Amino acid sequence: MPRMEATAKQRAVGTPVPKPAAALHGARVVLDDRVILRDVDLEIAPGTTLVRGANGAGKTTLLRAIAGLVPLARGTRSVGGPLLVLGHRTGLLRGLSARENLAFFARFRGRDASAVAAALDGWGLGGADADRPVEALSAGQRRRASLARLDSEPADLVLLDEPFAELDDAAAALLRGALARLSERGSAVVIASHAHPELDATARVVRIADGRLW
Amino acid sequence: MTSAFGRTLLVAGREIRAERRAPDGLVAAVTFTAVLVLLESLVVGPGTVRAPQIAAALFWIALLFAAILAAARSFDRELEEDAIDAVIALEGGRDALYGGKALALVGLLGLVAAVGLLLSIALLDLSVALAGHLALVVVLGVVALPPIVVLDVALTLRLRARAMLVPILALPMLVPQLVAATQGSAAAMTGDATGALGWSGLLLAFALVYAVLGLTIVPAAIE
Repeated sequence: MPRMEATAKQRAVGTPVPKPAAALHGARVVLDDRVILRDVDLEIAPGTTLVRGANGAGKTTLLRAIAGLVPLARGTRSVGGPLLVLGHRTGLLRGLSARENLAFFARFRGRDASAVAAALDGWGLGGADADRPVEALSAGQRRRASLARLDSEPADLVLLDEPFAELDDAAAALLRGALARLSERGSAVVIASHAHPELDATARVVRIADGRLW
Repeated sequence: MTSAFGRTLLVAGREIRAERRAPDGLVAAVTFTAVLVLLESLVVGPGTVRAPQIAAALFWIALLFAAILAAARSFDRELEEDAIDAVIALEGGRDALYGGKALALVGLLGLVAAVGLLLSIALLDLSVALAGHLALVVVLGVVALPPIVVLDVALTLRLRARAMLVPILALPMLVPQLVAATQGSAAAMTGDATGALGWSGLLLAFALVYAVLGLTIVPAAIE
């Protein structure tokens, strides 16, 4: 079972094993009479976890199951702390600007929305672009606005579905920087991606095929 | 941490701001109500449609369908970029989404009702004996509809047959509100103050019961 193991030193000195940031136990997801996840056991530790698998293997559903966005037909789910999910699409509401969208999320979490301006600026969306309705931005700009949430709402558990999609090289570099900051902060980051093999070197890799982890 | 009521207000504010910039729901609902009031008056005939019971029933049926239309548009906007997932993944997001949408729909429906009422009075040449009582019934009727309409739209969110299922699910549950709103409005138009106040109380009770029911069901049901 892919899980966070206690180190030998921790066991020897009786140090408490850190609680996983999130866990699925025996999780099964059935959508439209099709089994998408099959009895998945997974514990997510702080640090980066990379979910690898071909198209249709169940990567997105695994992330949605961890986030509680799909019902489990069987099994259990637990999440330790604040959660941030950035899916295939941006999650931004049409009609609002990037600044208004991000301020909404920050305030919803009880955070000061003043961090939003700096976050958007850091992702190259300062000034007028931040105040235009999101539907008036390019796909890449919308993606940047969405990813700026990593800086305006740092969470204990961050779930990213194909985060490098639609990003140019400069934005991809910004994303790597944001991931490094989350890692320093001690957040658990789960990335579902079938590309960017260079990420494997610094992450724990979990592979999924036909809804099963291996 | 923002309180549950604060989160509901945030969602309602977000909804109203988005609707102000791109008023899909408001324009559709106002147009629909105006056309329906006009058509009904033509089809039923000016003599019949001036009867308080008929005029009130036509007004509330138009408002009900306008509410369904506006709520569906609102959720369509949420689905476009999976904005709804971003909200329901937040702690307390499901409750706030339901409460905020219902609250925003009350505001939107208030505008639609005001336009529909003025149109009805002007086009159908209606006489209103107790304007204040009529205003009270309309306000409470507008508050009573959204809890059920938003609940049904939320429950059928990912279903292909949503356009058909929402009225089928909503209408039986809304019959008591429609009866109370129609009878209360007719009572106000004919000068029956006691009747108007009695039906108003019933509308308030429906609003509270269905809001609690919605807050109980929706968190488990939104996917």
